[in-house]
Amino acid sequence: MGSFNIGEVSKGSKLLFDNAPWQVLEVNFVKPGKGNAFYKLRVINLLTGNTLEKTLRGGEKVESADVTDVDMQFLYADANGFVFMNTKDYEQITVPPRAVGDAKDFLLEQAEVAVTLWNGEPIAVRMPNSVVMEVEYTEPAVKGDTQSRVLKTAKLKGTGAEVQVPIFVAIGDKVKINTDTREYLGRV
Amino acid sequence: MLQGGANLDPGIAPFRLDGPGGPRWLPTSPEHPLKRLVAAGCGDVWALHPAFRAGERSRRHRPEFRMLEWYRVGWDDRRLLGEVVELLAELTGLDGPCTVLPWRQALERHAGVDPFTAGEDALAAALGADAAVVRGGDGRLDREAAADLLLATRVEPHLGRGEWTAITDYPPRLAAQARTRRDARGEPVAARFEIYRDGLELANGYWELTDAAELVARLDAERRTRADAPGRDARFEAAMAAGLPECAGVAVGFDRVVMLALGLADLGEAMAFPWERA
Repeated sequence: MGSFNIGEVSKGSKLLFDNAPWQVLEVNFVKPGKGNAFYKLRVINLLTGNTLEKTLRGGEKVESADVTDVDMQFLYADANGFVFMNTKDYEQITVPPRAVGDAKDFLLEQAEVAVTLWNGEPIAVRMPNSVVMEVEYTEPAVKGDTQSRVLKTAKLKGTGAEVQVPIFVAIGDKVKINTDTREYLGRV
Repeated sequence: MLQGGANLDPGIAPFRLDGPGGPRWLPTSPEHPLKRLVAAGCGDVWALHPAFRAGERSRRHRPEFRMLEWYRVGWDDRRLLGEVVELLAELTGLDGPCTVLPWRQALERHAGVDPFTAGEDALAAALGADAAVVRGGDGRLDREAAADLLLATRVEPHLGRGEWTAITDYPPRLAAQARTRRDARGEPVAARFEIYRDGLELANGYWELTDAAELVARLDAERRTRADAPGRDARFEAAMAAGLPECAGVAVGFDRVVMLALGLADLGEAMAFPWERA
């Protein structure tokens, strides 16, 4: 991939620093009225999720990272990882568990998600903000109490992941879960 | 107000436009056309005009913004400073005194280093993790860049707290188009001021350099540092050679004044169509 001037970097740009791909979360230009200009970037490492602040000088060249998001459908998991199919060309790829990370808890077969590729290799799975999952098991529901803030554990069908739900939720209910915070958002 | 050549201020990148008869440049401030008018004998002049600076983007920067700029014939920087503070106070409704703080003392007070005498280690320590950014390939610290980064990140946040702070007596390398004079220690300094409020830079003023040969030499020196070799603003340089009357000029970031007056968090909120929605 090419290099370009730091002045062209914007929020969302994918850059290569220390042999890792980073996404720019925030760009801040800092300069005393005249004189040398600097850029303070807040960047997130697309491999580890770590964020850091990076200062660069105006006029510096930065390397762009070959990072793309591809729409894929999750097919099944096997011993090597998670098998996805590109919804455009039907090519299949195996995404290693490390790259799937916590997304595996909400990844149902047939689900359509974005897989992030770096130099063609899968490095992350981008889930929608929320998913609807069926409750496979939870303690019996406390009927009538729909206002309760008291939570109990529920096991989700398909992935076996556990989340916290209000005590009125029953086995077989479909619940909406925030994939980032794992919070219960409501019954569907 | 397109220009036949580029503004050449350190660290400021102009936009170039290609058209019939050769390129033109968007003004990074209306300085060149206004000084052409002053040189032509128009007397005091002012403009509230869009200005354009490639690559400037932050909570307090946009590549396009509005500049309120004016020139006072026969005035010097000190007299103009008083007028600018008066206007800023009226526009923002903010009061408080104006404290004058020379550039060197500002760094001593708020960054804890004398930018001229401090050793490389002391400068690097003041910068912390940012020191790596201003080291050259040979590992040596770029002292000028270090001072600029300290001013932007360690000093500016403290300026203009409950008052107007005017940074003055810039080192000659940061004189831009201001004349230089000797300070109380006998050191050459630029007759230039910047006014801050709440850590926000609002205005930049000069007692204007009228020595055209010196001005062109400074522009040429800056041009040599540019990889894209921006064009010479020949008509501006001719006007300066014909003679700029003794005058002082100031550029006020108008959107920043609006930002300050209304307590806005982002400069774009002071604009109808900022860069990202242009």
